[in-house]
Amino acid sequence: MLKSKLKGMSRELAVLAALILLIIVFSILDPVYLTPGNMVDIIKQGTINGILAIGITFAIISGGIDLSIGCTFAIVIVAVGQLTVVGVPPLVAIVLGGILGAIMGSINGILITKMNLQPFIATLGTMSVYRGLAYVFTGGWPVLGIPDNYRHVFTTKLFGDVPNSILVLFAIAIVTHIVLSKTRFGNYLYAVGGNEEAAKLSGVNVDKTKIIGYSICGACAAFAGMIMLANLGTGEPASGEGYELDAIAAAAVGGTRMAGGKGTILGTMLGALLLAALKIGMIVIGVQSFWQFVVTGIIIVIAAYFETIQDKLSAMIYKKQEKAAAAAEK
Amino acid sequence: MKKLLALVLAAVMVLSFAACGGNDAAQTPSTDAPASDAAPADDAAPADDAAPAEDEAPADDGEFNPDNEAGIMIEDVRAQFGPVPKPADGTTLGAVAKQFQNEYWRTLKEGYEEAQAKAAEAGVNITIDVQAAQDENDEQGQLAIVNNMINKQYSALMLSPISDGNLVPGVESALEKNIPCVNVNDGLIKNAPNFVGPKAIQNGELAAEWISNKLGGEGEVAVVIGMPKAFAARQRTEGFKSWMAENAPGITVVAEQNADWDRNKAKELADTWIKNFPDLKAIFCNNDGMALGVVEAVEASGKDILVVGVDGIGEAYDSIRAGKLDATIDSFPFYKAQIATECTLRLMAGQELPRVIWTPQALIDSTNVDTPAAEIINWVPTEYAE
Repeated sequence: MLKSKLKGMSRELAVLAALILLIIVFSILDPVYLTPGNMVDIIKQGTINGILAIGITFAIISGGIDLSIGCTFAIVIVAVGQLTVVGVPPLVAIVLGGILGAIMGSINGILITKMNLQPFIATLGTMSVYRGLAYVFTGGWPVLGIPDNYRHVFTTKLFGDVPNSILVLFAIAIVTHIVLSKTRFGNYLYAVGGNEEAAKLSGVNVDKTKIIGYSICGACAAFAGMIMLANLGTGEPASGEGYELDAIAAAAVGGTRMAGGKGTILGTMLGALLLAALKIGMIVIGVQSFWQFVVTGIIIVIAAYFETIQDKLSAMIYKKQEKAAAAAEK
Repeated sequence: MKKLLALVLAAVMVLSFAACGGNDAAQTPSTDAPASDAAPADDAAPADDAAPAEDEAPADDGEFNPDNEAGIMIEDVRAQFGPVPKPADGTTLGAVAKQFQNEYWRTLKEGYEEAQAKAAEAGVNITIDVQAAQDENDEQGQLAIVNNMINKQYSALMLSPISDGNLVPGVESALEKNIPCVNVNDGLIKNAPNFVGPKAIQNGELAAEWISNKLGGEGEVAVVIGMPKAFAARQRTEGFKSWMAENAPGITVVAEQNADWDRNKAKELADTWIKNFPDLKAIFCNNDGMALGVVEAVEASGKDILVVGVDGIGEAYDSIRAGKLDATIDSFPFYKAQIATECTLRLMAGQELPRVIWTPQALIDSTNVDTPAAEIINWVPTEYAE
């Protein structure tokens, strides 16, 4: 029973093993790396990318992509920033921010389903629209003077060096994990991404499923943005540029299949942590910036290649078993 | 699993190789930075019209680096050529900035508008049309703006290209039509006859000198780089490091990393550094946005680490007033635009200015944060001949 469960998680275990190995190697290269402070930092710096990646995992599992998350992120930052500055209570602002993100995500979903647009093109469009709106709202100026009561919601440290934002990351991860693995919506999402026609024929409301998936994606982008707003104390309309690519990388490293139908929150989380551990490790041992791009890219490619190897391996094992079964029949 | 292990180990090898490569590269960047022009003054550091370092034969081999040119300040131009000859009525100048999402370029735009207003006060009727690319990736769009200005037969162009190459064709066709072109601030246009802007390398030198004084010439410092592809980022870092190497042997640059001009990335970088370099005493950032992110990390750590930025944006001034950011290097885009306009009008009148005109920059800290900029740089508005 446990064995079969572990087998189903082989991909996650592989990423976990890679993460542990990475930490060991960096600790050997520089023992300073293995301090609790650095370990907390890995999670802390994986938080924003992690939440964005969790969101985009929903879009990817549905067979799509969301390029607009970095811009949803920016709009929520300036909007929530403005709300808190005019004195809206932090928790109200956070709820409104989450709703705003979900609405922007659902707009993507509606464009993709009701107007039948390619997800890549639809979100490329909204990416530009959202970024533009963030500039229009602010005139390009940052929102300054975010009140401390808002910032403390995410930055207060409950115990040790662990800020609330990390707890938010884990809360989001747990909730989304349950949604994806235990609910009917989760099953539908995998079905839609795996084979849309088949899902439709078996009575799944494809449009609704996708729209919900994209709104979860938008809501996640909103939470990531609100955490960054708290961390920095300033809402810049230019923030989040290029973050969608980091999020896609985390999801890919974590084993999310880009064609849809496959992927888990645990995998994505581990992917985000792996990238953060790599980034911090390279800073600690002093790898020059130029090389960091190269190394990060290589890791992503290796992770993708591992996916192929794994598929081949399981195909081989399946064949062997079949042969053995055939032999036994004889 | 074995395969994965092998792959990860391969990656690690690449990595350690990269670490070595990184160290090498950190040493190599040209140390031919102009010596001798480390700005003396503490606050304002305008004129360093000292002769350029000897080792720089005016490079005609294609590379244009204004930092290596014998530039002069606007005061010298004025002393040499007198008041600005009045341009023809209805002269239209075109100014093209990188983008208006950034406060720096918006302030430059205000400077151009001020130049136009001041000219009007002096009875000089000119129009300055200020435009910018959509964003900093819109290289073709910026060229289209320039071409449009050429087609409209503007009298002269003041250009701040996104990259070192994207406006070259525009300048070519403008020069063919005898429209004077002035390269303002950065990036660099090789074929533009004149450059008006700050000495980027001096920027890092001012920061280095200030930090060194504050630390008493001892301690560990780190540098947050912008995009390494940007000329200004390279020169600022270079100026900082070479000044330290030459003048402050007790100070070591223990880390330098790129943060893509991104505030959050800079903050996270600083978070990591503060933990791993417990003796870190100062962090120099290639711009204010990143410096303000670093300030958050320093505040959270409760440590006493100096943070210095570059640009002098409003938020940086506020942060200095609030006692958070320690200093910024302001290159006064508001006045830079007025200097650029003045130089352009002089060129149109046929005055033969040197290729490079330096614009003033100064270090702003708690001692002079409330001093008006015009006072810091001794600004005298453009004077027109009768």
